[in-house]
Amino acid sequence: MKSKKETKKPLLEIHDLFASTENLTILKGVNITINPGEIHAIMGRNGCGKSTLSKIIAGHPSYEITGGNIKLSGTDIEPLEPEERAQSGIFLGFQYPIEIPGVSNLEFLRVATNARRKFLKKEELDTFEFEDLVKEKLEIVKMEPTFLNRSINQGFSGGEKKRNEILQMALLEPEIAILDETDSGLDIDALRIVASGIKKIANENSGIILITHYQRLLDEIKPDFVHVMANGKIIKTGNSELALELEKNGYEWTDKFIDKT
Amino acid sequence: MQIIEEISKNRINKSASGSMLQKICLDKLQINPLPNHKSEIWRMANKSKLARFLDYKLNHDFYKPNIPYENESQNVIRLIIGDNKKINIKEQEWEIKELDDQKILNLIQHKLLESDTTQNWSALLNHLLTNEKNICGLNISGRNLPHLEIITNSKNNLFNSRTLILNIEKNTEVEISQINLGDDNCSLSNSSYLYLGEDSQVNHGIVSYGKYKSHLINSLNVFQNKNSVYNLGSLQFKFDFARLEININQIEGNAKTNIKGMQITQDNEQISTYAKIAFNGPNGFLDQLNKSLARDRSHSVFEGLIVVPRIAQKTDASQLSRNLLLSNYAKIDTKPQLEIIADDVKCMHGATISQLNENELFYMRSRGLTLEQASKLQLRSYYQEIISFLPISKERWDLLALLLNNK
Amino acid sequence: MVNDNLVDNIVSEPYKYGFVTEIESEKISKGINEDIIRLISSKKNEPEYLLNFRLNAFKKWQTMEEPDWADLGYEAIDYQDIIYYSAPKQQEKITSLDEVDPKLLETFDKLGIPLTEQKRLTNVAVDAVFDSVSIATTFKEQLAEHGVIFCSISEAIKDHSDLIEKYLGSVIPASDNYFAALNSAVFSDGSFVYIPKNVTCPMDLSSYFRINSGDSGQFERTLIIAEEASSVSYLEGCTAPMFDTNTLHAAVVELIALDDASIKYSTVQNWYAGNEQGVGGIFNFVTKRGKCIGKRSKISWSQVETGSAITWKYPSCILLGEESVGEFYSVALTNNLQQADTGTKMIHIGPKTKSTIVSKGISAGKSSNSYRGLVKIGSKAKGARNYSQCDSMLIGDKAAANTFPYIQSQQSNSEVEHEASTCRISEDQLFYLQSRGIEFEEAVSMMVSGFCRDVFNQLPMEFAAEADKLLSLKLEGSVG
Repeated sequence: MKSKKETKKPLLEIHDLFASTENLTILKGVNITINPGEIHAIMGRNGCGKSTLSKIIAGHPSYEITGGNIKLSGTDIEPLEPEERAQSGIFLGFQYPIEIPGVSNLEFLRVATNARRKFLKKEELDTFEFEDLVKEKLEIVKMEPTFLNRSINQGFSGGEKKRNEILQMALLEPEIAILDETDSGLDIDALRIVASGIKKIANENSGIILITHYQRLLDEIKPDFVHVMANGKIIKTGNSELALELEKNGYEWTDKFIDKT
Repeated sequence: MQIIEEISKNRINKSASGSMLQKICLDKLQINPLPNHKSEIWRMANKSKLARFLDYKLNHDFYKPNIPYENESQNVIRLIIGDNKKINIKEQEWEIKELDDQKILNLIQHKLLESDTTQNWSALLNHLLTNEKNICGLNISGRNLPHLEIITNSKNNLFNSRTLILNIEKNTEVEISQINLGDDNCSLSNSSYLYLGEDSQVNHGIVSYGKYKSHLINSLNVFQNKNSVYNLGSLQFKFDFARLEININQIEGNAKTNIKGMQITQDNEQISTYAKIAFNGPNGFLDQLNKSLARDRSHSVFEGLIVVPRIAQKTDASQLSRNLLLSNYAKIDTKPQLEIIADDVKCMHGATISQLNENELFYMRSRGLTLEQASKLQLRSYYQEIISFLPISKERWDLLALLLNNK
Repeated sequence: MVNDNLVDNIVSEPYKYGFVTEIESEKISKGINEDIIRLISSKKNEPEYLLNFRLNAFKKWQTMEEPDWADLGYEAIDYQDIIYYSAPKQQEKITSLDEVDPKLLETFDKLGIPLTEQKRLTNVAVDAVFDSVSIATTFKEQLAEHGVIFCSISEAIKDHSDLIEKYLGSVIPASDNYFAALNSAVFSDGSFVYIPKNVTCPMDLSSYFRINSGDSGQFERTLIIAEEASSVSYLEGCTAPMFDTNTLHAAVVELIALDDASIKYSTVQNWYAGNEQGVGGIFNFVTKRGKCIGKRSKISWSQVETGSAITWKYPSCILLGEESVGEFYSVALTNNLQQADTGTKMIHIGPKTKSTIVSKGISAGKSSNSYRGLVKIGSKAKGARNYSQCDSMLIGDKAAANTFPYIQSQQSNSEVEHEASTCRISEDQLFYLQSRGIEFEEAVSMMVSGFCRDVFNQLPMEFAAEADKLLSLKLEGSVG
């Protein structure tokens, strides 16, 4: 059995990260370290850089790292294409999942799952094996199998789209999952389904980053750390108490932490 | 075809001063006096009707038309092309002044030299046949302008030709309605040019209505500079032969064009609309709807073309052709076309041909309306969408009543 | 834009079917004149009526002008520089496959169309055409048990002259257009299908056309007749070697459907398209038309057009019979300097006739892809309906996509609806797929086949998978 020290080797390290899009600097020195089994929440006003951070980690081509680095299990991920990052275990749950007409959801899920399995040196699944697996995972997000025969996210309601994201997370079994405002636009029942799905998938070997505005998701999933972001930086880090304080006092209360220089 | 004979025999310019412009047009038309019938934009034109259009004696004189609301009201400036009334008004917020001849020539010439005779035949013919006093050129600037009402009319048994050039300066906002009136057994040729400066907005209405055996060819050329908005509402009816040629050029893209047009044909009439919208820069916008309604043995034609070259990225263009075919002897032709090279664009077009919606008719009849009442209600809503887009004062021109009582 | 470097690094897969079969051919001299036509006819031992058919067509052709209205640009074709008959040399009369030159069998093997009894496809009967002649037709005897005639058109001319005389040129008269006239004068071989009354053809029928020689044109002719209440599904595939000269392919296909009959005609066209600089490739000028003569008859065209330097093709339906149905499902993909001008004509003549058009055009590279269509509702077509949908996908900013739909109605009790749209593969969609671990190229081909889904669903199973593969192959290296 491995020693405790070894298993606590950090999963994701974000070190002094600067990033820009269209010559506009959005991230101005972000530092976060995530160890296996940890759940982190990143909160902050609209435009503070939360979503940019998630896209940078996943490798969106419109954003550029201009300083610092991101390491997954000790390896710099900057040179990796988005699909290579996904295959090596980075998962981004989109705030606005993209609709792709004509492309079957089932086929998409199978190709994605097999790409990840191939990376993990696991056997790829044929159509029948995959259907068994996916049916099992459907339970987690309480989706009907008919979902699978539709085009990717096309004509899905807001809640269905988010559940489809969590289904993908369940299939891909990521090392680190970043869930960008997965709670937005969900009614209370849908929120519970999504939250309980996330909890079922979470395990001691993987890390989760929840990006959110609101306390209500954090009521369902208690984070180990809460980071407050403003102006492209983490201005305050605390435990779940911090989120409650934010809920009570609003973001204005955090303004005093902003480094005016 | 009197007109063509006169062109061939070089008799047109004898009396007139024979301007530069007329000389250019004569040179071109003497080579090909008639449009090429094989070309896409003339293929559907009824040959005998086109011949009749050209078969009247050319007239330069002014005849006062019989029109409602003879007097100008405070909010409307009325102008009848050819009546020699000078317009030069300067107010605090706006100004309308006449364009000098050189400026007019400059504005038109550049258009005439750019494409081939077949594409431009209507304009060439118009400029050859319009003498100086039937050309109206205005420079318009400012805001809170009164409504501008410009009338072109024709006299029976004669061929009448009029030209309108409007230079809209930048930041100007103006409403212009143009009324083309046909008379019994007559032809009217009208060429209009609108130059929209940066950040200007023009709400333009064109209403063409004729009487018995009226013929009309109306060519409309619009040049839009960036951030300009051009709204066009058009309505054509009661012409034995009418043709509206719309050419919109978004010179640098970045402009908005909204067009809603309608043509109504009955008896043996043929009415056509040709619309070409060219985006010569990025971020252009077009929303076009053309409606037609064909009865009896009439023929209605719509041909649209959207051109999006490589430079016109992020163009958003839509063109719809909605047609009602109300008789088994009538005919509708429609051809909405797209030519696209830029890849980051949103273009769609659509066309439908059908009759009045049976379910809607049945629903209304099951509530006690007669078939006629129900049809009329449906037609009213069909018309209303276009008419409400026309910037034409309802008090002066009750178009809906005119249309509904037409038959 | 997206992943420029990656795209540049993807090496375009070479054309897989570009090999030449080394075989001695019997060719006649170049050029076209009355003697050549007599020679072709005599080589095929044709009856008098057919020679006259050819000579009449030739006379008409000479009076006609090559069309220039399609949106195509190409150098003038020298019709005297083409060989109009080329056949692999082999025994005069072949009675069984054993007598066919093994090189030919090998060729079709390599193309994935094995002909020998041991290897042949079990559920599809194949007529294999090599240059100007039909090499072999499989499953003939089994089909004959059901009364189905499936043979080369040369055989049909000899053995079923009553049907040929009645129907050849009845849908597409020789005078129809320039290339149809040329084909009628010089056509060399092709397939003939006859499905008798009340018979559902027990298996899919298929023709495979192979152009092998570089200087001969291919002018095949296909005729399919479906008698009352019969039905058939017919598949057509095409390939050619890579030559740096252009080869002319001018085929004519005629379909006839009587009362309650149904014909489904599917094509996967993968002629050699020329290289990246636009050198070489097939000029594909084809006339295809079906006549729904009978009540409730149905003709359905589906096509996947990926090859040829130039394609000029409008599979059409004449809907004569009451309640007859016409369908056209098309995917046309152009890359590099390819040009495609394709579409359909739906001519509604009978009452309650229905037609559906679904066209998907994908333009990449510097290619040009046009949809040109005509929907005509005649004055007697009471209750006629048409629905058309034409979508274009542009890949890169140097390709052109044009849509020229033409709609004419003379019947007030009818409905016509046309919709068209243009799209491209969006960066966000690509990123979404990539962020789930799907490779860039695979993501692109997934989206392209998603775009074509409505059409692929219409293809027979054997073709659908092939078409999907073909598209992704053709697109390699084009996205960026």
